[in-house]
Amino acid sequence: MIGLDAEVARQRAVLAALAARTDLDAASARTARVRPDSLARSGWEIYRTNADALAERALAAAFPTLRALLGAHDFKHMAREFWRDEPPQRGDIGEWGAALPAWLRVHPGLAPWPYLGDCAELDWLRHSCERALDANLDAGSLSLLDTHEPQQLRLLLRPGTALLDSRWPVASLYAAHQADAGQFAELRDAIAEQRGEVVLVARRGWRAAVHTIDAPTLAWSCDVQRGMTLGAALARASTGFDFAHWLAQALTHEWLHRVEVVAGRG
Amino acid sequence: MALPVPGRADAAVGIGMRQPHYEQLLERGADLAFVEVHSENFFAAGGATRAVLRRARELYPVSLHGVGLGLGSALGVDGWHLDRLDELVREIEPVRVSDHACFARASRGVDGGVWHANDLLPVAFTPGALAIMVRNVSLVQERLRRPILLENLSAYLAYADDSMSEAGFLTELCRRSGCSLLLDVNNLMVNAINAAAPDRLAACCDAVDALPRELVAQIHLAGYAQADAWAIDDHGSPVRPEVWDVYRHALRRFGAVPTLIEWDTDVPALDVLLGQADRAVACHAEVAA
Repeated sequence: MIGLDAEVARQRAVLAALAARTDLDAASARTARVRPDSLARSGWEIYRTNADALAERALAAAFPTLRALLGAHDFKHMAREFWRDEPPQRGDIGEWGAALPAWLRVHPGLAPWPYLGDCAELDWLRHSCERALDANLDAGSLSLLDTHEPQQLRLLLRPGTALLDSRWPVASLYAAHQADAGQFAELRDAIAEQRGEVVLVARRGWRAAVHTIDAPTLAWSCDVQRGMTLGAALARASTGFDFAHWLAQALTHEWLHRVEVVAGRG
Repeated sequence: MALPVPGRADAAVGIGMRQPHYEQLLERGADLAFVEVHSENFFAAGGATRAVLRRARELYPVSLHGVGLGLGSALGVDGWHLDRLDELVREIEPVRVSDHACFARASRGVDGGVWHANDLLPVAFTPGALAIMVRNVSLVQERLRRPILLENLSAYLAYADDSMSEAGFLTELCRRSGCSLLLDVNNLMVNAINAAAPDRLAACCDAVDALPRELVAQIHLAGYAQADAWAIDDHGSPVRPEVWDVYRHALRRFGAVPTLIEWDTDVPALDVLLGQADRAVACHAEVAA
């Protein structure tokens, strides 16, 4: 198509100029052939201001715990920096932020707070969980547990259910930053001693709930999420794991979506 | 909340449905021809927002207004985005589907990755940019099985090699792709101010007159902010008096096309928004008189 390459180059130059903060107006004006009048320079700033505000707003919605930990001022600067390093790739800004935990973990300026990455990951898991497909418990499918052998069955957790095995007290950090919470002295000790926590995130109604689980439950949940049959998962479960207790918890906390017969074994 | 004012639905006037008004709009209802939402805010497969939209669809015709297709993007339309929009359109069966005559996606260059600005960036008014937008709009319409509406921008940049007027560009876009126009009257005023037009009202009315009557299928009204020498299209205040003047001019030219009151920043009480909608209804009466 005539002009396609030129437009690809122009649009690339415009976005590059919007990401830049200094001394690129002249270069971008030449490449993008932006009108070189006195107002054009301010025009760039309007778009840059929009991008800054959107970055902060979008990340604040998805990462409330991280924002509380960093404080509003530092969070705003972090959002701008992340926008430049890992800009959105989709037109749904709610999809932006999956790369933030890993970015935080290697950010040299954040080394004194090594738990920020895991806290951000828990925020992202909650955010994603609340956007996951709606799926209530299929209560009728529970009868399969009485009529079929465990090797014939598989458990499906609700969409959005996720696990995080952290060497930091992420569940406690999350809880401490909820309204009316805040056991900060104990939390400081937990961070200093690196008291890790294992977390299961699952939808309850419209909200994502954070549950602290133990190591046997983590191993079990991983096996279930991998699609292992109930029989195989039970065979691998550690001696400390009690399936009846887990099932009661799964029903109470709405972790379980349904039980299904494994194809070809029914 | 004030009693519903009869006539908004009859006059085809609606409002943008934003989070602070969900409860009032969905539990008490209002006399509205339609509500409009930003499509991308409802792309998530599940969760509370999709449930809100389903409920809204039970009460009102819904217009899906996109801000992220980037129909002027030389890289083309993002298949991921189009898949989600198609799924949303199938479920909600909107009265209209619209987006903007802008670009948003470009190559990052460094790693071959793509970058989405999540903003409405102006395209050049050139035959090359027009061909790109025609191709992208046609692709979207084919996938959605319906014509869409394209909105004119408030733009803070222009390109030195523009060779067409905005009206000429949009008219040709409609004729070649089969889409219609969503005329944002406030955007005309913002652009006229930022271009330092000696007579803003005349400039806006000229822009209205430059568009063929049959191509405008919806109108947007909103407020703008003034910062230094710039007018900023922030949708954060009442429609300005001079924009109402242009709206009346547009009604005389295009007839009583569906009209939306947009308010996205510092969203006020619902009554304020409905009051703006009532003013739009009154404009219909003035023009008809």
